[in-house]
Amino acid sequence: MPKRRPKNSGNSLNVSRRAFLKTMGVGAAATGLSVPAPRPAEAAILGPDAVPVALRVNGVAHTLTLEPRVTLLRALRNHLDLTGAKEVCERGACGGCTVLLDGEPICACMMLAVDAVGHEITTVEGLGTPERMSAVQAAFVECDAMQCGFCTPGFVVASTALLNKYPNPSLDEVKAGLAGNLCRWGTYPRIFEAVQKAAGRRG
Amino acid sequence: MAEQGDQTFRVKVGPAENPVTLEVHPAAGDLTPWDNESRLRNVKGRHPRLEAPLKVTGHAKYTYDIRLPGMLWAKMVRAPIPAGKIVRIDVAKAERLPGVKAVWRTDAKLVRFAGQGIAAVAAVSQEIAEDAARLVEVEYEATPFVTDLEEAMALTAPLVYGEGQAPAPPNTPRRGNVTGPFGPPTVGGARGGSRGDIEKGFAEADTVHEATYRVRVHTHAVLETHGIVAHWEGDRLTVYTSTQGVFMVRAALAEAFGLPRNKVRVIMEHMGGGFGSKLSASAAGSAFAILACRLAQMTGAPVKLMLDRHEEQLCTGNAPGALMTVRLGAKADGRLTAIHYRAYTEGGIGQSARTGAPAGSMYPQCPNVRLDEYDVFTNAGPTSALRAPGHPQGAFGFECAMDELAYRLGMDPLELRRKNDTHPFRKVYYDVGAKAIGWERRNATPGAALGPKKRGIGMANGNWYVMVREPVAAEVRVHRDGSVELFHGAQDIGTGIRTVLAVIAAEELGLKPADISVHVGDTRFPPGPTSGGSITTNSSGPAARLAAHVARMRIAALAAPLLNAKSEELTFADGKIFVAAEPGRSVSFREAAQKMPGEVIACLADRKRQFETVRQDLAATQFAEVEVDVETGVIRVLKMVGVNNCGTPINLLTAENQMIGAQIQGASWALFEHRTLDRNVGTMVNPNLEAYKILGPADMFEAIPIFTEGANAGNNTSATGMAEPVFVPTLAAIANAVYNATGVRLRQLPMTPDRVLASLAEASPGASR
Repeated sequence: MPKRRPKNSGNSLNVSRRAFLKTMGVGAAATGLSVPAPRPAEAAILGPDAVPVALRVNGVAHTLTLEPRVTLLRALRNHLDLTGAKEVCERGACGGCTVLLDGEPICACMMLAVDAVGHEITTVEGLGTPERMSAVQAAFVECDAMQCGFCTPGFVVASTALLNKYPNPSLDEVKAGLAGNLCRWGTYPRIFEAVQKAAGRRG
Repeated sequence: MAEQGDQTFRVKVGPAENPVTLEVHPAAGDLTPWDNESRLRNVKGRHPRLEAPLKVTGHAKYTYDIRLPGMLWAKMVRAPIPAGKIVRIDVAKAERLPGVKAVWRTDAKLVRFAGQGIAAVAAVSQEIAEDAARLVEVEYEATPFVTDLEEAMALTAPLVYGEGQAPAPPNTPRRGNVTGPFGPPTVGGARGGSRGDIEKGFAEADTVHEATYRVRVHTHAVLETHGIVAHWEGDRLTVYTSTQGVFMVRAALAEAFGLPRNKVRVIMEHMGGGFGSKLSASAAGSAFAILACRLAQMTGAPVKLMLDRHEEQLCTGNAPGALMTVRLGAKADGRLTAIHYRAYTEGGIGQSARTGAPAGSMYPQCPNVRLDEYDVFTNAGPTSALRAPGHPQGAFGFECAMDELAYRLGMDPLELRRKNDTHPFRKVYYDVGAKAIGWERRNATPGAALGPKKRGIGMANGNWYVMVREPVAAEVRVHRDGSVELFHGAQDIGTGIRTVLAVIAAEELGLKPADISVHVGDTRFPPGPTSGGSITTNSSGPAARLAAHVARMRIAALAAPLLNAKSEELTFADGKIFVAAEPGRSVSFREAAQKMPGEVIACLADRKRQFETVRQDLAATQFAEVEVDVETGVIRVLKMVGVNNCGTPINLLTAENQMIGAQIQGASWALFEHRTLDRNVGTMVNPNLEAYKILGPADMFEAIPIFTEGANAGNNTSATGMAEPVFVPTLAAIANAVYNATGVRLRQLPMTPDRVLASLAEASPGASR
């Protein structure tokens, strides 16, 4: 399988978005850290007609019939009715579509559904339900870590991935770990609080 | 105005530090307003929003998430040039593409901005709709254009509008692309305006300060783009749409399609941000909602039309840029003798919000004030309301000028405000905010600190107005099992109105907020306000309280015989109804409800008329601490303290969140955001979220929200709005802190590193830092 560079993985945690921008000069640069890997030369040519695509999402196997150009995000939203992940910027700049691919956070708008075959995909719906929320989800509720809530699924997934890797992040680590996600209402302090509260509970 | 049958109450209101007794005259049937001495169980508490579990699990359905059986996807085609004639639109190829069900094209002949809607297609999938849109061929004949405010002001500039075509109030003078001056702003009450004689005022002044300030255009950049799902069933139209006003959308669609309003239903369950851009049925620069309904009518299938990010940044509105010249005169002791505020605002092809109100009304005792305001048209997307329209821009110019005046006078900037301010709430804010930010830590001499990273502290004031929509209503239903529902046709734009209404109803009924199921965002419910102008809580809340009160009276009547007491002797608390004088005698709310004759008691109540307030103008103050790296030009906000009063903060948890959000959005405007148009080709350079940069987690600072105690009266909850006033002072507070840090004044936003370095270099040419 092609090697991918997931969001917030490895030492990218040590590079804040601001520090990254500083190297760019004026504040105008990509916020997402997800970069699609080059396609291997031997890859089979699919399409343009629809092809069967087997996806494993939240532990359930699905076989969809999709044009190869359909992104993972649109497959989830338009074909599986998993609408938690949102298409906001359409190019990996805001984290609104964050899902887990084999446990690593990625921007689902930046990956084709056919490239997700063979991987375990987890969406925000797979982390908990309104009746049985995960520790991160419950902490977001208690801290009011949202306003309109449109960015919330992306932040919940990114926060979950962060805590899986760094169970007890400092405030600076939380900021860096969530630097690929944007909220227009400005709920960041409440999100940081929720992540640290959830960290304490997950032990 | 007093009317027959009005009641008279004397309430303890105003700042808790300095309360006043106010005689108020609510309409007959209204309730005694909550005041400073009310002891409340739920109100002023910290309640997680009721819908939060849906939002954190991805189960909350936004317009963008709606998928109906047989639904088609629509996509629009937009003009790629800023000005020209439309010569030909050929949709044949698009129509022939398999999967395409309908195509619409404009009958407009002229293009006035890059992003204007030209055509639309509806197809069976999102991808085919996008393909079809690319197949629409449009031929334009480009004409001269202007996208730059300063260039557009020149008499030689290409005209955005021909004679008699420009949107402007009747009889407004016009010169080229410039219209104005406009009359003083009056909407919303005490907005001040021109008064006295400024020449006399400047002659009396010991010190005069004059400077020009510039704010660029900001886009709303809402995360959920504008969009709609339209569904016809016969002659009935149901739409799901991302709007700040479901009733307003219904009225517009009914009119557009010649339908009686009872055939149109508008639903908005959750919305991903609006900030004023979703205050019309469609959007400022695109009639997409009407088009989607038309495509649905043409095809007989539901149609979903969500704008993409590029479109969202181009045509759904923006906050106008402003070029402001502020001249202030003051006596040596700081008393203002004259204010002259002149502004040219940049609203693209639209009429801009007025920016003069902060200068005109913040310090009303200044005897001589003149506001000269002009609109300048450019070939760019039209402006729309954005969080206190015009006020953040105007407050940036005016409150930076006040700061400059203070330094010129050798006064503490806070002292200058105290000297001129009469607002009883703001007088409290000065003490509270100064303590929280550590005002005494600011640099006595700006820029004097050693080293390349210089810290500074600044502050600024903002204002807004008590506005309400009176003709709204709410319905409370109590079921036989004791469960309660509340129905109201406001919509939750992210501020948490569901929870606010639940808190208010729970207060009346002696229940917990989570016991109330609240339904909003549907034209089938009793009328609610359009959510704009910080009016929702103080319009909707009083109706909810009244409806809950009617339900309480009816439940009390059922409980009274069970307790051998009279209804009026009963109190509701903790899920129980008990005899006030003898709390041991009680019955549960549920037991009482089970005595109802039918299955449900439905109680509808109209909001009563607004009555006397402590203040009609709302005040906010922000303090900021920044660190400026004078070698790289990078500014970091370290801390912000916002101080505000919203009468009764119904839910402190969500109210504080809004204040924090105002600080963050303000910092984002001040440091990063700038809609950039290429003046050579007239298109937007950054119609996205990576180059139109908004503040992210890594840029975050310590955000401190403070609500001061003190009811404002005016309605039975004594609440006022708050989302807008707290945003207004933020830009100036940060800019004033930057001056305190560096000793160099930045009069232009955003304060990007290049501007910072240029300003530093200009201030000390040849100096090496």
